[in-house]
Amino acid sequence: MKRRFISMFLVSAMAASMMMGCGSAAGNDSTGSGASGSGDAASGDVTEFSYFITMPGSEINSDNEIQQVIAEKTGVKVKETWLTGQSAEEAVGTLVAGGEYPDYLCTDDMTTLLDAGALIPLDEYIDAYPEFKNEWYTEAEWEKFRQPDGHIYWINQFENTHGDSKKTTHNDEAFWIQNKVLKWANYPKLETMDDYFDLIERYIAENPTMEDGTEYIGYTILCEDWRYFCLENAGQFLGGYPNDGSVIVNKDTMTIEDYNTSDDTIKYFKKLNEEYQKGIVDPESFTQTYDEYIAKLSTGRVLGMVDQWWDFQENVNGAFKTQGLDEAGCNYIPLGLTTEAGMDNRWHTYDDTVNCANGIAISVDCADPEKAFKFIVDTCMDQELIDLRVWGLEGVDYLVDDQGLYYRTDEMRMNAADTTYKASHLCPYSYFLSWGGTSFDGKNAMRVDEQPSEFMNGMATPLKETFDAYGVTTYPDFIGSVVEANGPWFPMYSYSNGFTTATPGGVAWTKMGECKHEWLPKVVMADDFEKGWADYMDAYNACKPEDFLSEMQAILDTFK
Amino acid sequence: MKNRRIRSSLGDKIFKFLIAIFMIVFVLVTLYPVVNTLVLSFNDGTDAVRGGIYLWPRKFTLKNYSTVLALENLSIGAYITVARTILGTLISLGLNALLAFVVSRKRFMFKSQLSLFWVITMYVNGGLVPTFILYRNLNLTNSFWVYVIPGLISAWNMLVIRTYMQGIPDSLEESAQLDGAGYFTIFTRIISPLCKPVYATIALFAAVYHWNSWFDAMLYNRMKTEYTTLQYELMKLLSSVMQQGGSADTAKFGSGQVTPVVIRASATIVTMAPIICLYPFLQRYFVAGLTIGGVKE
Amino acid sequence: MEKTASKKKFKIDWKEVKRQRFLLIVSAFFVAYGIVFYYLPLTGWLMAFENFKPRLGLLGSPFIGLDKFKFLFSDVAFLRVIRNTFCMGVLNLATTTVMAILFAILLNEIGNKFLKKSIQTISYLPHFLSWIVVVGILHNSLSSSGIINDLLLRFGVVDQAINFLAHPEYFWFIVAFANVWKETGWNAIIYLASITSIDPSLYEAASIDGADRLQKIKYITLPGIKPTIIILLIMNVGNILNVGFEVQYLLGNGLVQSVSQTIDIYVLKWGISQNDFSLGTAAGIFKSVVSIMLIVLCNHLAKKAGEEKLF
Repeated sequence: MKRRFISMFLVSAMAASMMMGCGSAAGNDSTGSGASGSGDAASGDVTEFSYFITMPGSEINSDNEIQQVIAEKTGVKVKETWLTGQSAEEAVGTLVAGGEYPDYLCTDDMTTLLDAGALIPLDEYIDAYPEFKNEWYTEAEWEKFRQPDGHIYWINQFENTHGDSKKTTHNDEAFWIQNKVLKWANYPKLETMDDYFDLIERYIAENPTMEDGTEYIGYTILCEDWRYFCLENAGQFLGGYPNDGSVIVNKDTMTIEDYNTSDDTIKYFKKLNEEYQKGIVDPESFTQTYDEYIAKLSTGRVLGMVDQWWDFQENVNGAFKTQGLDEAGCNYIPLGLTTEAGMDNRWHTYDDTVNCANGIAISVDCADPEKAFKFIVDTCMDQELIDLRVWGLEGVDYLVDDQGLYYRTDEMRMNAADTTYKASHLCPYSYFLSWGGTSFDGKNAMRVDEQPSEFMNGMATPLKETFDAYGVTTYPDFIGSVVEANGPWFPMYSYSNGFTTATPGGVAWTKMGECKHEWLPKVVMADDFEKGWADYMDAYNACKPEDFLSEMQAILDTFK
Repeated sequence: MKNRRIRSSLGDKIFKFLIAIFMIVFVLVTLYPVVNTLVLSFNDGTDAVRGGIYLWPRKFTLKNYSTVLALENLSIGAYITVARTILGTLISLGLNALLAFVVSRKRFMFKSQLSLFWVITMYVNGGLVPTFILYRNLNLTNSFWVYVIPGLISAWNMLVIRTYMQGIPDSLEESAQLDGAGYFTIFTRIISPLCKPVYATIALFAAVYHWNSWFDAMLYNRMKTEYTTLQYELMKLLSSVMQQGGSADTAKFGSGQVTPVVIRASATIVTMAPIICLYPFLQRYFVAGLTIGGVKE
Repeated sequence: MEKTASKKKFKIDWKEVKRQRFLLIVSAFFVAYGIVFYYLPLTGWLMAFENFKPRLGLLGSPFIGLDKFKFLFSDVAFLRVIRNTFCMGVLNLATTTVMAILFAILLNEIGNKFLKKSIQTISYLPHFLSWIVVVGILHNSLSSSGIINDLLLRFGVVDQAINFLAHPEYFWFIVAFANVWKETGWNAIIYLASITSIDPSLYEAASIDGADRLQKIKYITLPGIKPTIIILLIMNVGNILNVGFEVQYLLGNGLVQSVSQTIDIYVLKWGISQNDFSLGTAAGIFKSVVSIMLIVLCNHLAKKAGEEKLF
């Protein structure tokens, strides 16, 4: 027995020395392979860059097929690394502490990287590609990216439309309703919350259960953590304002207004309270998790809710399809409701919302910034490369018809959604510059999901009928928002998101959020709405919202 | 005398009955989440989003497992994880036992101070950034050794071993010393053989810690694929599946896609399976019948 | 040193030092290791007293004294999360400890080896599930249409489904249950190992004396594992404030947030998510100080009661 114990130690010691041997051998190996890698580069002249993005994402395999094709065409291969299980702030904190940077960087917190001296100015590179410079942004937009020292360090990758917009979906917030309810009422025009809830009430009164006997839920509200926007900010839209997020901007007086206390918001919550008392609002609204919410929607028993498209459509529509509920008219239609009938609404934002707070940057540790920048330009200016990123390989991932329009077969679509296939074959380089709108040759959409044939494909019959009944071809048409240019400050949430507890306004902002999380459900559930609202206002005012509003006003004043 | 025996055996019967009830309830309640996870791991992902799956898959598929097993770096991750588990467990068990041995010697002049020194380490933490800087300065970042070296001593494990060692009669040490044995000999030949149950327990704890670790791989070896761990690869997959939104394709097919809930389930099963297989080998040390008494050996 | 040592009846002199040289050398190695890996990073505590910016580093960031502590202790919300953390910590500790010991002892009473091993294997499995899985199942079971309400309604205990998670008064108990559910079997392993060290001849002798099972548990098993129980208890008392955030975060919602938020959640909200590392460090220091005070106190009490002590 004793001997065995000692031998155990010996084994472990041996294993340790072996591992040490192995370890260093492996170390040598890796430098060896690194050298051979650069040897490859010499022959094929492929430079490998690293890219760290502090967002969650999908890694692709090192032998990814399309990545290989792009590398042959551009001489560049990028290894992307994404955030896993850590906050972006922590990731940037350790990155700066470590002082070693990947070649490309993209994070929500670019300022910290800039302050740490991690980024190189891009101005001269941008100027070296005048065509790109003109295409990607206007002069005014480039100016927004200029930092206090006068240089541009990053370029945002998204929200940029080339040519005509091809938007087919309403990605933002709306009141949604199942299309069968609209059909039942013979496709009425719904303008106010009263119209909306009236219809739901009438529908439930006549059809209390689904075919299988499950009781309908008139309206549910998702409140889990940050997703409580489904409860919180409908007031600003009902008042006819665009999605500034944290505040309302009164354009006439150039003043900041608080939508939390606006008349529209009070009316909105009063209506919810009323419907809660009537049993139309799901009593589990305030305790359900996101998963439970999605599961609930997927059964087809929820007639309506406020949400943003991206937050539910993929899972829910997939589940509808499985059960044939899409053919039963369960798909949701967005509505642009307002407090009073006849008001203009701004639920849908037509403009691109350029986010100047972050984007792709090149680090000081990048050995060949010229080549790295060229790759940024190539991947958004060369339609061939764009097609490779977006669609894949012709003949494999998409086909071209006589008119030069791209389309896919069901099998190709299935592949494009497959996790394993994506890793081994597709290479979207999704955090490089990405266009929306129309391709350079003017034929196809820059994004697959905006290609009309892709959008119409597989659309359920009742949904098509609804589109026809209202005479619309895209989701935003249902909303009917007015087209109106947003001010240069838009969206104001891009500023409030950066608030920290370092200022009184930041403290107030966090406290207001906490207060609303706790009180808004109570207000909706209150037996006596007036009293509930008054109690909420006491708690709300104790958070000193005026500190927050005055700091937001100061920001708005810079645009006067 | 006879009477009492009968009574006590009747009491024993009632007692046995109560234990049986307790254990049945306990087993059902603890088994349920595991079974549910197993079931989900074999269920279609898009379908699972609807909820309502309990004890049997509604739409059977092997796709979740094929997705997990198709991960490019899974074998590297598994290799590194096995290596760190074996090495980390053996070395840290040896060192924790040695330290426990030192602080459990009644004669040792600093036993109290040394214990306190280690007790404090359980409750203080310098934070992410200073730790990162330290490891970088020690050249532990971007290397395999960051998995093994920093966690070698765990005060918690050490104190559990110490408690067990303190239960061993001093007479054994004294008689060995009379025979001229030094401390090292006493440690390896007298004390350690008696500590098998607690060693097995601590080995299990350490092994499970290493087996499940991924945060260190993410922090210190993010750019080094050759030092990735199994759990880190699984976490990355889960994170990427959760991020798949935005693709309109998925919604167009009623089924066939993986979703977070099923990937989480199959990743959990993939992680658990090896531990369940190896467990009986350790289990015999600490779930033996009363016939094996520690000290009596 | 010499004085205290002599009290312990071993005299410290050169001869003794020489005798203990193996122990001393080994200790020196471990102290060096401990300093490097556990105490050196504590320089990071400086952050709590400065407005830490990663780019300026630990030594370059501006010093702000006790501002972060003042911020914490002047915030009613922070005092509330201390209360929540403390109460949940105590409740969790009590329930998980009792359940683990109970389970270990009862398991030990099962005669059939195969059965015993099987039950033990099953019992620890939930430990390997992530909290998100366990809490997801618990959340479903507690909902209005979940199994708990189903049973309560069926047996007529209540006449209307209770939305458990909307009521602050149930929250701490639900968290304690979640911990018991997931960790009982795992925590029991250590007590099972401890039970194996009990001399079987004690049980034989007790049987001859006519002791029944309960008496054997009371007079042999429990005293046998008492040192382990006490040491674990003291160590875990030090962890009372480390109840974490996952369970509370996953089970919580706006309606119960006044009782569900813990120190860790507070730090996430007010510190990390706002890029304020200093606040989190200050809260961490507070937790460490409380922990160490608690274990010193417990250790003192244990010593006084003549029980096993931690140091």
